Amino acid sequence: MPILEAQNLTKRFGGLIAVNNVSFQIDEGEIVGIIGPNGAGKTTLFNLITGYLKPDSGRVLLRGEDITGLPPNKIANKGLARTFQIVRPFRHLPTIANVLVALQSHRGKRRIEWIKTPERKAMEMLEDVGLSDMALEPAENLSHGDLKRLEIARAMALEPEIVLLDEPFGGLNPVETEYMVKSLQRIHLDGHTLVIVEHKLHALMKLVKRVLVMHNGEIIAEGAPEEIAQNKKVIEVYLGKAI
Amino acid sequence: MLEAIIISGIITGLIYALIALGFTLVYGISGIVNLTHGAFFVVGAYLYGILLNHIPKLIPQDLAYLTPTFAIVFSILLTGIIGSAFYRITLHQLLGEEVSILIASICACIVFHQIIFIAMGSLYAFSFTISPLVRGTIMIINTDVLTGKAVAALISLTSFIILGLYISRTKTGRAMKALSQDLEAAMLMGVSTEKLFMFTAGLSAGIGSLGGILYASTVTYGTASHMWMLGLALSFTVVVLGGLGSIKGSIFGGLILGFTQEAVMRIIPGAGVLQDSIPFIVVILALLIRPKGLFGKRIEME
Amino acid sequence: MLTDTIIRYVKKVYTNFATHVYDVPPRMLALLILIIIANLPFMGIPTHRLGIFTTANLIAILAVSWDLLVGRTGQISLGHALFYGVGAYATALLYKYLHWPWWTTIPLSIIAGVGVALIIGIPCLRFKGPYLALVTMAFPLAVVGFFYYYRDIFRGETGLSVKPIFAPPIVSYSQKPIANYYLSLALLTISSIIIYKVATSKTGIVFVSILDDELGSKACGINTTKYKLLSFAISGLFGSLAGAFAAHLTGSANPRYFIEKTALIPTEYSLIPIIATILGGIGTIYGPIVGTYLYYTLNNYVFEYVITGIDKPTRILFFMAIIIFLIVKWPRGIARTIVEKLEDLQEPREVEEILKEKAKSEETS
Repeated sequence: MPILEAQNLTKRFGGLIAVNNVSFQIDEGEIVGIIGPNGAGKTTLFNLITGYLKPDSGRVLLRGEDITGLPPNKIANKGLARTFQIVRPFRHLPTIANVLVALQSHRGKRRIEWIKTPERKAMEMLEDVGLSDMALEPAENLSHGDLKRLEIARAMALEPEIVLLDEPFGGLNPVETEYMVKSLQRIHLDGHTLVIVEHKLHALMKLVKRVLVMHNGEIIAEGAPEEIAQNKKVIEVYLGKAI
Repeated sequence: MLEAIIISGIITGLIYALIALGFTLVYGISGIVNLTHGAFFVVGAYLYGILLNHIPKLIPQDLAYLTPTFAIVFSILLTGIIGSAFYRITLHQLLGEEVSILIASICACIVFHQIIFIAMGSLYAFSFTISPLVRGTIMIINTDVLTGKAVAALISLTSFIILGLYISRTKTGRAMKALSQDLEAAMLMGVSTEKLFMFTAGLSAGIGSLGGILYASTVTYGTASHMWMLGLALSFTVVVLGGLGSIKGSIFGGLILGFTQEAVMRIIPGAGVLQDSIPFIVVILALLIRPKGLFGKRIEME
Repeated sequence: MLTDTIIRYVKKVYTNFATHVYDVPPRMLALLILIIIANLPFMGIPTHRLGIFTTANLIAILAVSWDLLVGRTGQISLGHALFYGVGAYATALLYKYLHWPWWTTIPLSIIAGVGVALIIGIPCLRFKGPYLALVTMAFPLAVVGFFYYYRDIFRGETGLSVKPIFAPPIVSYSQKPIANYYLSLALLTISSIIIYKVATSKTGIVFVSILDDELGSKACGINTTKYKLLSFAISGLFGSLAGAFAAHLTGSANPRYFIEKTALIPTEYSLIPIIATILGGIGTIYGPIVGTYLYYTLNNYVFEYVITGIDKPTRILFFMAIIIFLIVKWPRGIARTIVEKLEDLQEPREVEEILKEKAKSEETS
C-alpha cells in the first residue's frame, strides 16, 4: 500500500481552479520531487494534503487511512510532517525551544525519554542539522540558511514517516544548498519518505528518483529526472529554464 | 405591517451600510482592521454639528440654506484628513502586527473620545442633538417615514454608487481595486502602497464621518462622545453579516441588520430598551453560526 | 586598564550571582520591586491612602493574567474586567444569599471565573483577532446590562455589599488598610510566581509558539485550540481571584468592576491591563506589575494629591496618547528595555552546562 495517496483532489478559489483533479501515489521509502512554474498549484496541493485547506472534492489517504480535511495538528501527529516555503520560526523563542514545541505534541510524547528530558531529544535534532551551538540563541537572530535547517529539525522532531518539504532550498547559497542536499539524503537513508516541492531544479534532480510536474493545477508529466528533463511539454511550460 | 418593516428596514439598512463601508474598505484594500473607524463616526457627527452653528456666520445670508451641505462636505474633508494623518503617523508603522494595530486603534478611539469631551464640555459630550437633514414625514407605500431618514438613506445610496464608479473609472480607484485583489502584484506594478493606504484611510474616515452624520441626524438624542462603540458595533455586525472587504457585502449586511432591527422593534413589545443591543446580539449569533461571516473575506470590490 | 579589569570582575561576579542564585536579571528586578513595594507603608504614604496601592496590587494580578493571554499566547482581550467583575459578584452573591464565609465563597468565585472563561472561550477563541477583540469588548457591557435588568438580584448601580475579611475585632479599624495592603501584596506575589512558573514551563513555550506562528505550531502537532483555551482559563482564574478579593477588601461589588460609565471611559478596568502591560513591557511577568504601579502612582496618587487640576478626561487622554506612542516607538515597554540592557551584561551560558544542570536536578528529584 502506498504511504501517501491523493485521489482526485480539486480546489477552487472563486473562479480560479488551483488544483484540478490531481491524483498520485507515493510509496514508502521513495524520494519524490514536485516541480512546476509559479502558480502551478504546488503549495496549494501541499496545503490540501497537510490539512491547511479543505479540498472541494477528492481524498487524501495516509497508509490507507482517510485524512482528508483533518486539522493540521492531527495529521502531524499521524506521522506526516511538513515544512514551509516561507520560514516562520517562533521568533520569540530560543532555537532549542522551537524544537521543544514539537515535542509537546501528542506524537512528541511517544517515548518516555522524550517526556523526561525533551531537551536531550531537541539537542539531538539540532545536532543533526548542525545548529547545536545556536541552541540558546533567539530564533530571530538566525540567518536564513540556519532557519531553513531549523525547519527540518522541527519537522524531524516528531519522527515522522513521511515529510513534505516546501522549497527547502529557497534562498540558500551554493554551500548551504549542498549541505541541505546531504541532510535530506541522510534523512532519506534513515528510512523516511520525502516529497519535495522545489524550484532549484539542479539541486532537486540530484536528490530525487521520481518527479511529478504540475502546471495550472494538473500533473502534466511524471517520471525519472532524466526523462522529465527531456520532456517537450515540460520544457515548454518552463520556457527555457535550464536544468 | 410587513411593508412598514421592509421600507423602514431598507432605509435604516442603507444608513448602516454606509457606516460600515469605510471600515470594510480599509480592510479590503490594506488588510488592516482599523478600529479607529468608530472614532471617525463620532468625530464626523460632532464636526457637522459645530459647523452647522458656525457656517451661517461666515457665508452671505441668501446662501444660508446651503449650510447643511457645506457642513457635510467640510466635515467629511476634515475627518478624512485627520484619518489619513492618524493612519500615517501610527498604524502605518505597525503594519503586520495585528494585535498592536487593534490595541493602538482602540486607544485612538478613546483619545478622540476624550478630546471631544474636553472640547465640548460634559454637557454636550453626553448628548449633542443634531437636527434632521429635512424635517417632517412622508409616506412611502403606506408607511410613515421621517423625511430626514429617507433623505439620509438616499444620500447613502448615492454615495455607494459614486464610490463604485470611482473605483471602476478612475486611476486611483482601479489601483485600490488592484490592491484589494493581490497586494504583491499591485506593488510589483509600481503602485505606491504607502500613498494608497493613506488615501484609503482618509477616504474611509470621510465616509465614516458621513455615516455618523446621517445616523446622528436620524436619532433623537443626536450623538454622544462614547458613541464610537456603537459605530464599531454597527460596522462590525454589518461586516460579519456581509463579509469583510466586500462593498456589496456592506449593503447586504446593512440591509439584513436594518430589517432585523425594524422587525424586532415592531414585533416585540417593549423592545425600545433593546435598541442599542440588537447589533451586539445579532453579531454574536452570526459569529456562532458562521465564524467566517456570510461572505467570507476579501472578495472583489464591486 | 584598571577599569577593564574592574568591569570584567564585576561582570563575573554578576554572572555568578545571576546564574547560581537567581538565574536571571528579571528575577532580581522582581525581587527589587517586591522589596520596594513591601515597604510602601513605611515610605511616607499615609495609611488612609494605602487603599490605592491595595487596589493596584489586585489590578496588577489582572494585568499579569492579561499579559499571559495577550502578550504570551497572542489572543486579544479588550474586556478583561469581565473576570474581575465575575469574581467580585460571584463572591458577593454567595455571601448575600447563602451567607457563606469568604474562604468558601472566594474559591467558588474562582471556579466561576474559570467557568466563564471556558464558556466564552470555547465558541469565541476560534474567531480571528478583530472579531475576538470586539466580542471581548462587548461582554462586560452585556453583563452589566443584564445586571441592571435584574435589578432586584444584583442591586443595579449600588451593587452588593460584601463582608470584609479584615474587620474589628480581628483587626482594628485603623490597621485595616495595612492588613488589606499586605494581603493584596501576598496575593500578587503568589499569583505572579505561579504565572511565572506556567510561562516558563513547556506549556508556556507552546503558548509563545501560538503567538508567533499558530499555523507553524499546528504543523508541530500542537492542538492550538486546547492551549488557547488553557491560557484563557488560567487568565480568567487569576482575574476572578483578583476580583473576588477586591470585593472582600473594599466591602462591595458593584458595576464599576465591569465598566465605569461615570468616569466617562466605559471600560476602565479593561483598559488598565493594556496600559500597564504596554508601559511596563509586554510578554513578561514584571512588566504588567511595574506598569500597574506606574499607572496607579501617576493617575491615582500624583494626579490626585500632588499635581491637582488635571481632570479625568485629560488624564485618560494623556495615558492613551502615551500608549499609542509606546506601541509605535517602543513596543518592548520601559521595564523590559531596562531588563534587556541588564541581560546584555551577562555572559552567555553554555548549552552543555544547562543540560548538565537539568540532568542533575532530575537525578536528585
